Amino acid sequence: MNKIYLAAIVTTLAMLGFTYVAMDIKGGLNDDIVNQLAILGAVVLVIATVFVVTKYVRQMQTDKATGDLTEENWDGIGEYMNEMPFGWSVIFLLTIIWGLWYWTAGYPVAAYSQIGEWNEEVAAKNASIAQRAANLTPNEKLHLGKAVFNVQCAPCHGTNGKGQENYQTGDLRAENLNKRALSKKYVEKVIREGSNQLGYAGGMPPMMLQDDADIDAVATYIEGGMKGEQPAQYAVCGSCHGMNGEGMDFVAPSLTAYNVDLVKTLLTSGTKKGEIGTMPREAKILTPLQIELVAAFVANGPATELEE
Amino acid sequence: MFHWLEKRPFFFAVGVFVVIAFAGLVEILPNFAQQSQPTVGTKPYSTLELTGRHVYIKNSCNACHSQLIRPFKSETDRYGSYSKSGEYAYDRPFLWGSKRTGPDLMRVGNYRTTDWHENHMMDPIGTVPGSVMPSYPWMFTNLADVDTAYAEQLTIKSVFKVPYSMGDEKILIPMEDGTSETVEIATTLAGANAAALEEAKLIVADMKNQDVKDMVAAGKIPEIVALIAYLNSLK
Repeated sequence: MNKIYLAAIVTTLAMLGFTYVAMDIKGGLNDDIVNQLAILGAVVLVIATVFVVTKYVRQMQTDKATGDLTEENWDGIGEYMNEMPFGWSVIFLLTIIWGLWYWTAGYPVAAYSQIGEWNEEVAAKNASIAQRAANLTPNEKLHLGKAVFNVQCAPCHGTNGKGQENYQTGDLRAENLNKRALSKKYVEKVIREGSNQLGYAGGMPPMMLQDDADIDAVATYIEGGMKGEQPAQYAVCGSCHGMNGEGMDFVAPSLTAYNVDLVKTLLTSGTKKGEIGTMPREAKILTPLQIELVAAFVANGPATELEE
Repeated sequence: MFHWLEKRPFFFAVGVFVVIAFAGLVEILPNFAQQSQPTVGTKPYSTLELTGRHVYIKNSCNACHSQLIRPFKSETDRYGSYSKSGEYAYDRPFLWGSKRTGPDLMRVGNYRTTDWHENHMMDPIGTVPGSVMPSYPWMFTNLADVDTAYAEQLTIKSVFKVPYSMGDEKILIPMEDGTSETVEIATTLAGANAAALEEAKLIVADMKNQDVKDMVAAGKIPEIVALIAYLNSLK
């Protein structure tokens, strides 16, 4: 027997023995199928390694340099013209075929697109929401509106819509949405300067009333919640805002309540500059359905307890 | 097959050049596509906003807050539309961040106000119950570094051709609604400080902290004002 084969057998046995001991120490010799597969893999690896190494060591010992050389010759050193192994040729050709498919169809046509997946997901979700929205009861709408309100409005207006207090002064930071309380100062300012913050088409022109006494009377009346005797000059305001201050959809906001039309218009097109900064354009984030839901919730009074 | 090339070093070098240049073209050409240009509606930062951006970087806001909205419905529902590459055209360096301990801030200007930030930077837990964000009271007293921001504006204008208008030169920036706007920077350092102060006055009009208001009235700009200007510009 050749010395090399002897060395191969000894090495194989040593490596298998080492594997066995190592497995045993780590508690790997049990019924677990994963461990059994690992042992099988180790045995195959050991045998294959020793077989391949032995083969090439033998070849180095016995091989004679024969065969055709390529036409290049570098200072007497040549290179054999070996044929490409069959397996390589097959893989090479398959790679070319796959490459042709990938460049013509795989990448441009069938490629994965994250944006595409997003589009599909959003479209599917919107469709299912629209379907559900068609059958909502008014109470369900309020609950859904509350969910939107808590995420998008509550950071400034508070979860009950009463506005959040300033950490230093205790002043309200954002408007209390439970009742529309217009201060006299504010009404006077709007009458004098006009306003187009809520996003109603055209907005309110400045100086609808000219006389200081008239402006004062109307502002006092509106600040008082439109109770008591109505000043005659209010007729100018009433033509758009309604004689009871209830507003007119798409034309002018209500002066007495945050009704659905006011909230929807503001969220869709208005940029309200309040005490604490410009109110965000929620239309950039909310869908029309969400705006409708949150408008219904605000009109209902955010602090009102909802039925289950 | 390649013997002909191997015997002619010049043509071999040309061949190598062509092969490598092709790889270069594949990487370089897409950068000139429309998709890689600044997104319509993206403006470079004004002097005060850029000052605030440095406050943001200095305080490592980007360690906890990302500025990158991924195209997942859960993210676009919460933060607004997903980020496009062209929106970062004037961010040097970009502040994508890699870990969100706090929420994403890519479009925070769309849904928070000056006053909210003021309260939140001073008292995060009082503003958002359960928040883990620390308080940043020193921003209310430290002065913002407008000079550095202005120097950066001059640099990126001349080196990277950022479309700042300066003096008589007006560079129009297209907006989403079809109009165009300009972003002006001053021609002198004193002018830049004055312009930043004008911007700061608009911000403090919505703030409640009397000390900050007094500082701005006295011509000084605390870091918080610059930071809020920056955060409000993120849209």
